[in-house]
Amino acid sequence: MGNQNGKVYGLTLLCPILEDDRATPSHDLQIRYYLAQLSTGPESPFTRSSSTHLARLVVMDDVVYVGAPACEEHLNSKYLIFETNCDSDLDGYMTELAQTIPDTLDQIWQHCTGYPGTRDLSAFLRYMRSCQIETTFFFAATNDKNRNETLAALQTQRSVAEFITAHQGMDPAQLQREFVAFAGRLKSAPLPKPAVFPQSAERSIQTGGHNE
Amino acid sequence: MSKLNATDIQGFVLRGYNMPYARYCFLHFTSAPNARALMRELLGVITTGQLWDQGKPQSTVNIAFTHKGLVSLQLPLATLITFPVEFQLGMKARGGILGDTGINGPEHWDNLWQDDSEDAEVHAWLAIHALSQEVLEDRFVYLQALISQTESAQILDTQDAAALVEGGKVTLKEHFGYTDGFGNPDYLGVCRSTQPGQGKLMPDGTWQPLATGELLLGYADEAGELPVAPVPHILAANGTFMVYRKLHQNVATFRRFLDSWSSRYGAGDAQAREKLASKFIGRWRDGTPVEVSPDAPDPTLTQDPNRSTNFTYSNDAAGTRCPVGAHIRRVHPRDAFGFEGRLINRRRITRRGLPYGPYLPEDAQFDELTDKTDRGVAFMVLNASISRQFEFVQQQWINYGNDAHQGNEKDLLLGNHGPGEKYVIQGDRNAANPPLICANLPNFVELRGGDYFFIPSITALGLIAMNLVDPR
Repeated sequence: MGNQNGKVYGLTLLCPILEDDRATPSHDLQIRYYLAQLSTGPESPFTRSSSTHLARLVVMDDVVYVGAPACEEHLNSKYLIFETNCDSDLDGYMTELAQTIPDTLDQIWQHCTGYPGTRDLSAFLRYMRSCQIETTFFFAATNDKNRNETLAALQTQRSVAEFITAHQGMDPAQLQREFVAFAGRLKSAPLPKPAVFPQSAERSIQTGGHNE
Repeated sequence: MSKLNATDIQGFVLRGYNMPYARYCFLHFTSAPNARALMRELLGVITTGQLWDQGKPQSTVNIAFTHKGLVSLQLPLATLITFPVEFQLGMKARGGILGDTGINGPEHWDNLWQDDSEDAEVHAWLAIHALSQEVLEDRFVYLQALISQTESAQILDTQDAAALVEGGKVTLKEHFGYTDGFGNPDYLGVCRSTQPGQGKLMPDGTWQPLATGELLLGYADEAGELPVAPVPHILAANGTFMVYRKLHQNVATFRRFLDSWSSRYGAGDAQAREKLASKFIGRWRDGTPVEVSPDAPDPTLTQDPNRSTNFTYSNDAAGTRCPVGAHIRRVHPRDAFGFEGRLINRRRITRRGLPYGPYLPEDAQFDELTDKTDRGVAFMVLNASISRQFEFVQQQWINYGNDAHQGNEKDLLLGNHGPGEKYVIQGDRNAANPPLICANLPNFVELRGGDYFFIPSITALGLIAMNLVDPR
């Protein structure tokens, strides 16, 4: 599997983090601190790009030595990993991010080796291309539609389920009238905002943990 | 694999006794030395897994301990801290993961399980199963005498349970009217013969027993690993973990729900009502699997062990026979997740249980107070890893629907429902098999308490009784 799945592009970047003994705290810690304060919900800066399906940022310190008989190995550097499923491709998506959330990108990537900043777009894109590795697996729930189509499809699914629930068993002629009206309302309904869960889709149960 | 020593394993672990009467006594130990004396007395009393070729006994006795119970028995600290974390924490502390919140939260539990004071801690589950009420009472009096002679414990409470009797006949039904107890997993070395549909699905479509370590501690599990178990090994081996849950059933709510939705289902008649009931579970009320016999119950099927659990879902991906979210399809998905069923082999549980409370005949009147009647099922799960097996099933397959392609939807019967939850029944063009969405699901089942227990082997019980548990 390559980087493309239908209309969805899987972008994976591996960016070496600066090593500087004089930095306090170290650059990887500074990235962690910044990332920890970023919203993961509707307020996430990445929702401002109209083509983000998901975006994940990870600081990878090293490979973990698990003890003998494994052999002990280390990475040459700490890395920032950026994984995203998005519409378009590296150039298109990173250009859009550089134009919509330049400060966020600079705050994060300023701690990476050789990062030129967002102001020089062609240098920025050259840098990102040099950090790209091939995406071999997509997030399991990814489909092949673009983000807005996906948001609309989720809204349609919910609304149709609600419509069926409320109208099942209705006299066919009336059902048709109601459905035509419903379809009209659905068509003109505004696109739902990303990362906003309707109340009915909220999951109250505690998640995570080693059994999941 | 080594041959299992059935005389070292508690009988309750190896088989469902299929006895119609039970009393579960919940003990609080008042003195460690005296409790050990009680264990010494019980050593010759506890029913083992030895086969009943000489005839079924009149009654059985089994025992299990909470972590607090093992603490009160003064097991060495170096042993106590090696038990799996979820067992150490106990079921109440795992409520967030299990969805035991809201109406299922501890504030709604029976006083026995709600009381957190130190002198009300449940330390042990002492279980009697019997063929008759008289034998049960005799056995209880005998155990009471042992307890008081040894001055070892206080019986905090008892839970009686009994098979439901319908028209003078003992049944295998639970209060919603479904015949229960089909299909527990087969484990290597545990059963003399295996039943198709009970173990794990093989690539050639046959069924083989699951690895012994999915049920018993001290043996390799489906990953070829030993399950997480306390030290020393001899304390753990041939033991298992038990989840005890007292599940209250809202029979009036269930019948009202079934009446109301079946009037809009198919022909809306009595037949449609039974069919709808079968679509909730994946079995008709007599136990016939819907996947095998979608149009009507078939008594010859339920009586035939080669067919009653022998089915898969791969030819019913759309769920038009057995709905994709039906109870038995959620909790034992067989091949429904692909990969020839391999994704589920480490998520299987063995179930035991009996109903409690009076049976409400199908044609009986009911009112607002019916749901308040104390009735339900004393439900027990046996598994080598509570977190990997029971908790996973409860969290992911009962109270969530993603694996079953049901989004956030929960199991209709057991789910802890929020407002506006629904259950989708897939259908086809056959007028007798229409699609239906049941909306605004009420809670049919409510948790009234319970805890996590360790069921030791006979050897381990002896070590505890003689204060010989040595983690070194």
